[in-house]
Amino acid sequence: MADTVVATPQDTAKPRRKAVSEKVFGWLLVGPAMLFIAVIVAWPLAETIRLSFMEAGLGGEEYVGLANYQDLVESRKFHQTIVRTFYWMFLSVALKLILGLIGAALLNAAVPGRALFRVLVMPPWIIPMAIGMIGWLWLYNGYFGVLSGTMMKLGITDGPFEFLAYKQSAFYSAVVADVWVGTPMVTLFFLAAMQGVSRDLYEAAWVDGASRWYRFRRITIPQIMPVIVSMSLLSAIFTFNSFEIIWILTEGGPRGATTTLIVDTYKTAISNFKFGEGSARAVIIVILLGIFSILYLQVLKLVNRKYGTK
Amino acid sequence: MKLMNLTLGAVLLSGTAMSAQAEEMHFIMCGGEVRPADQAVIEEFEADHEGVTVNLEAVPWGTCQDKSLTLAAAGDPPSIAYMGSRTLSQLAKNDMIVEARIDPEAPYQPGVLNTVTIEGVQWGYPHAFSTKALYLNCDVIEESGQDCVAPATWDEMYAMAETVVENTDSAGVGLAGKDFDNTMHQFLNYLYSNGGTVIDSDTGENMLDSQQTREALEFYGRLASVSQEGPTAWERDQLTELFNDGQIAMYVAGPDRLNQHNDDINQLVAPVPAGPSGESGSILITDSIVVFKGSGHEDLAHDLAQRITSGDSQYDLDSSWGLTPILDYEALGMEDPYYTQGDVWPVFVGGIAKGGPEPLVEDFKSLQSVFTNMIQGILLEDDTVDNLVTIAGEELDDAL
Repeated sequence: MADTVVATPQDTAKPRRKAVSEKVFGWLLVGPAMLFIAVIVAWPLAETIRLSFMEAGLGGEEYVGLANYQDLVESRKFHQTIVRTFYWMFLSVALKLILGLIGAALLNAAVPGRALFRVLVMPPWIIPMAIGMIGWLWLYNGYFGVLSGTMMKLGITDGPFEFLAYKQSAFYSAVVADVWVGTPMVTLFFLAAMQGVSRDLYEAAWVDGASRWYRFRRITIPQIMPVIVSMSLLSAIFTFNSFEIIWILTEGGPRGATTTLIVDTYKTAISNFKFGEGSARAVIIVILLGIFSILYLQVLKLVNRKYGTK
Repeated sequence: MKLMNLTLGAVLLSGTAMSAQAEEMHFIMCGGEVRPADQAVIEEFEADHEGVTVNLEAVPWGTCQDKSLTLAAAGDPPSIAYMGSRTLSQLAKNDMIVEARIDPEAPYQPGVLNTVTIEGVQWGYPHAFSTKALYLNCDVIEESGQDCVAPATWDEMYAMAETVVENTDSAGVGLAGKDFDNTMHQFLNYLYSNGGTVIDSDTGENMLDSQQTREALEFYGRLASVSQEGPTAWERDQLTELFNDGQIAMYVAGPDRLNQHNDDINQLVAPVPAGPSGESGSILITDSIVVFKGSGHEDLAHDLAQRITSGDSQYDLDSSWGLTPILDYEALGMEDPYYTQGDVWPVFVGGIAKGGPEPLVEDFKSLQSVFTNMIQGILLEDDTVDNLVTIAGEELDDAL
């Protein structure tokens, strides 16, 4: 039989007081963060959801139930915008990842002047986006731009070509500009991941006679795979919500060819002052991105499991 | 100590009194610059109102109207703003601006007050007026082997532009097609020169879906074959660069371009050529000074608006900036006003009587979208003229 110990009131009171104060202390610690999130995220989100059930404009608001959502479901233009947005996102992210991977591999190589090249990668990411896009506007100008001039000199075109004037060329021109902005960040993250790969693995493979390409494919890629997947998710969200690039280059035109969901939402809510319809679009963006993020996180979990990382 | 407290109190009180007297007016000036003629009036206004400061904010056209509307919607309206008159309907119907107090004796040109009048109420002080005409670069046209003679009809205009394209490196005509308000304005010049209308001024009925619109749109599409490359990337003001550079032989614009064109260009100004169903016409556009509700400076703002738009001040602006005269200055006793001199001004002044209005609708952005969608549709050959006009008519019904 175990010895019984009679606890005095003093003995029991002390730990209980400590437990309560720890709980309060915990709430005090997370409180400011929760308040911050409530003000910055939760309240605007709740307000957006509320407005999406209203016909709201400059003159006031009126409850219309699901009418805004019904309009969107029935709108062919909106369906096209969703498809265009995902195409824009997948194409742009894929290019960023491929170029980022190539760039990181080159910057990771032991070549003279490597530090300089690493610095030179940064400008598209560092300079203000508006300034960068004004530069691209000039590049794409048919009469005064370098690209059109070069194409004429090389005999590719026999006259000026306005990159932003046609539906397809405007869309792909915007993708190129977006890739130009987004690739440096991807490159740097991949480079950081590559530098964390153990040299022993490469040396062992080299001793076994593995080629550069084989080492890259079978050592580098698997080792940095979790970073690739994480960057894909981040880059996808940034690209999905990319607004300034499209707005400065084309404002969503011509004829809606570069209108993505975020541009459509801005045009509806802010340019046309249809706050209710704009809010419905914003809610749909949140839902789509939420679904997309959940799927991506599942993929990330599988990747981590496969490559043995946490 | 007591003395010190009293002194401190006196200083605080005097500070409060001073701040009560000091008033800051927020003046949004669309167009991205403050014109010297307006600046002079504002300085005089400040000198006459001690303690009143006018904070001028010049905002480019592309974002200016959105900014003013958003500020007003957010409960922080500017005191006064210079904006396109097309915004008046939206502002008035949403109770954001107050009625203008225009001198009933002011001799405005015909049609000008219509651009600020909604259901019999004047909501803005008209401050800038323009009619449009066709500018021809005679150097380019003569280089193509043609005489620089103003085309009177659309067919003549097209033939001239086609010859320029065939015989020179220049484009025949400059065409606007960007997602921008002046794409609609450019098209309306052709529509009004073909006897078309957008909204019946008496009944308010949508008249866009018509044969005249079809003809105008078809002609706009035809012009694309002899225009500068990719018109959907260009707005009207950017065409000035091409005109100065000899890249286009002609384009339609207002009289303010006279000051923007290079001096060494041999240019001719002519009325917009007539379409098959009408006579030469022009869009009549005004920009107005509006007084916002709820700024707390309404009376001061009215005073400033009246000064800026009064005879002498308005004349300074019109003559220095090269605007179509908004007032009949001869009726005000001015002798030999600027627009009675030279060969160019009669073209712009002559357009007043033959002009059509910029449609005044509450949702002016939707109106703009209806037009740009239709125009870009034909420029990009997305659909037939018939379908595009039918769709535009339906979309306009929704926007009205």
